[in-house]
Amino acid sequence: MLIQGQMMLHVGFGVLGILLAVALFVDVLNVSEKNVARIRKLSLAVAMLIVLSYLFGGYWYVVHYGPDREIIKAGQWAWAHNYFMEVKEHVFFLMLMLGMYLPIAVHRNVPLAEEKNRNLVLGITALIILIGLFMEGAGGIIGKGVTMGLMGR
Amino acid sequence: MMNTKMEKYTAGFGLSLVVTSLLNAVILVLKETNGAVMSTMKAVLGHHWTTHGAIVIMTFVVLGFIFSSTKTGANLDSRKMLKYILWAVVISGVIIAGFFLPNLKI
Repeated sequence: MLIQGQMMLHVGFGVLGILLAVALFVDVLNVSEKNVARIRKLSLAVAMLIVLSYLFGGYWYVVHYGPDREIIKAGQWAWAHNYFMEVKEHVFFLMLMLGMYLPIAVHRNVPLAEEKNRNLVLGITALIILIGLFMEGAGGIIGKGVTMGLMGR
Repeated sequence: MMNTKMEKYTAGFGLSLVVTSLLNAVILVLKETNGAVMSTMKAVLGHHWTTHGAIVIMTFVVLGFIFSSTKTGANLDSRKMLKYILWAVVISGVIIAGFFLPNLKI
């Protein structure tokens, strides 16, 4: 149960991070004095959630993923590990660094209302959202790979 | 058009993000094509991915402070920085996705 809980936390923090990144994107599009404080809080929350997702997912991957990997590789969906997990585990570092950079760009590169500064934050946030969605899709494929392996297909 | 210079930490850590994104792909190719590199990375922190992550994160932080303090990138503005970051992330992502493409046998 603890193992499943760790996996759920990894996915949960990741999904919440993506959702808050979408909220941040919309807020930055409509930046004004009224929502600057919320934008700053959101950028910190996104960074924190991505780091938490990395820590929980990383721990689970290093400690618990081995048996699942063998099941996937023995099944019909071996590519779920050989491609999607391999790509996912390395692309994650890009999202992690983008997430850590996001609050710096939001807090330090002011005024955010200036077009170039706003576009920098929008670009970083968009990358986080797109990579995050890939992470979720790849995670789903890897999970299905385990199912296919257990079904002997 | 105004050519507003960037704040030093945004420029420094932005450049660090560019370098580290590319470094991430380079480390991947190195460890996957060189058994000695892979073995060393496994030995250092017990798992190659853990070591990979530690290198990338530490490099990002250290380079970020170095670039910020030396004001490397002082002539950049946010538009150029976004362009560099986008290209670095896309190039790194394409290298990673392309490297494992032969594994995508259905």
